Parts: sequence; structure tokens; C-alpha cells
Amino acid sequence: MSLEEEENAAELKIGDEFLKAKCLMNSEVSLILEHKYEQIQQMSDDPSNQVSQVFEKSLQYVKRFSRYKNPDAVRQVREILSRYQLAEFELCVLGNLCPETVEEAIAMVPSIKNRGRMLDEEAIEKMLNDLSLIKKFE
Amino acid sequence: MFFHIVLERNMQLHPRHFGRDLREKLVSKLMKDVEGTCSGRHGFIVAITGIESVGKGLIRDGTGFVTFPVKYQCVVFRPFKGEILEAVVTMVNKMGFFAEAGPVQIFVSNHLIPDDMEFQSGDVPNYTTSDGSVKIQKESEVRLKIIGTRVDATEIFCIGTIKDDFLGVISDPGANA
Repeated sequence: MSLEEEENAAELKIGDEFLKAKCLMNSEVSLILEHKYEQIQQMSDDPSNQVSQVFEKSLQYVKRFSRYKNPDAVRQVREILSRYQLAEFELCVLGNLCPETVEEAIAMVPSIKNRGRMLDEEAIEKMLNDLSLIKKFE
Repeated sequence: MFFHIVLERNMQLHPRHFGRDLREKLVSKLMKDVEGTCSGRHGFIVAITGIESVGKGLIRDGTGFVTFPVKYQCVVFRPFKGEILEAVVTMVNKMGFFAEAGPVQIFVSNHLIPDDMEFQSGDVPNYTTSDGSVKIQKESEVRLKIIGTRVDATEIFCIGTIKDDFLGVISDPGANA
């Protein structure tokens, strides 16, 4: 349980395994799960019997909380965010919550402020602007 | 947060499945075994998305079963302490409220709801500000911060707070009604 004690996403302490892993934004998970659900549907008449409760709840959740529905927009979001030397986890929190102000972004992802990167408020502001543009033109 | 990770599992297979479609048998058994399960370390396994590799099988002494090490890619949901996420309120009572973010349940105690929100009992129990402008009830969408996790064999349970900047209700089902 010692690992559990030290865990703190606000400081990006999520364990090495998850830090290196690929994070997924809700919109991306939605694309993956819907695709998989369609496959299952084609194979059986009653897909609701075939999937676990965890799958079903996750699918409902990501459908409800996807900021971007269009696959191209989802790709763009990741591309834009990845220009800013963010950790995977930070990238996905920003992509999921779409903060509107610099202050909000820092409250959502406190670690972007204190990792000695070249991310000043101006850069964050620009990043948020780029994000909201995608949303607008989706 | 959802992750795409590679996990490994030793799959035991009965000799009757040996044949042309051994691999398919392994994969379908793997899906049945692990999808929907939960562990403290990796969180909830939502869906298997691909097989990385199937290693050499090893015959178990005395049984005839063969163990194959299988590496697979999967989507997992793992909540972290300190993480901020959005969730749907499922139940409200005077102790606080429960919300769901995908497969995980999060409890927000009334101590961690802003002080200006009061519990209102009735047909639709809710927490409301004194001026009535903000309301938390079943089906409300809230943004919360996870401040603790409890792991048992088959489930992860979280404690959350909405008593911080930029947390709280994002949409209120009653507002449009």
C-alpha cells in the first residue's frame, strides 16, 4: 500500500508504469469502444449480453463526456497538445476538461506549473485558444 | 483516467482446444477472463484491443493443461488520487452524494460540498445554494477531485471533493426542465 500513499495526480505521481503508458482522452476511448461495440454487434444478435458491465458503463460515460465527436478533431486535439511538452496524463486531463482560462487550466493540472518546462502563462493561453478553435470548427 | 497499456497473463488451455484455431480459443478465453475485471494496480480492464504476442506453451505436470503467456493491449480505467474528472451524480442523501465516472463510484461527503450548499430532502433530494442558483441532484454532471481511493479485490472505490476552485456542477438536469 506504500505506493498508494504516495500517489498524487496533481504532482504527476501516478507510478512509472502509468506515466510511461499511453493515456486516452474520453473522446478517443469513445471511438475505440464504439468500434468494438459495432464489431460485437455484427457477431451476435444480443450484444448487451456479450459485454461486461464495466464496458457498458465506460461506453456510456465517454459518450456523455466526449468533448470532440469527430475523429479528425480528436486527432487534432492530440496533435496540438503534444506540441507543448506535456506528459500524457496532463495532455488527457486538458483534452477531457477543456479549461477556458489559464487559471482554470493550472487548477486542473497543477503539475504543468512546476516541472521546469518552458510553459509560461502565455503559452498556456495559446494552447487553450487553439483547443477552443478546434471545438468551434468541428 | 483511461489508459492504453500492455498486460500479460498466463492462460491455461485444455488440450481439447489444440488445433487450427488454438489462437482464437486463447483470445476468446482471455476476453472472457479479463474484460470487466478490476485490480488495484491496473484498475478496471474495459476492453482488449489487440494481442501483442502469444508465447511458447508449457505443459503442466500431471494435468495435460498447457500454459501460454499472452501479452495483450487493453483499455483500462484507473482513478488516481489528485485527479480531476467529470462524473454523473447517481444518488443524493444527507451524508453527501454518490457519482459515477465510468465503472468507478465516487462518494462526496457533505463536508466536501461547499458550505453554502444545503441538503434539501423531498422527492428529488438535492444540495442547493441559498439563492437556488446551483443545484446538485441525481443525473447532475459534476466536476470533482479524487482525494482518496480504496481498493478491494473486485472494485475500486473513491472519495471525492467539490470544495475547491473550478469544481462543482457543470450541468443541472433540472435547469432545462
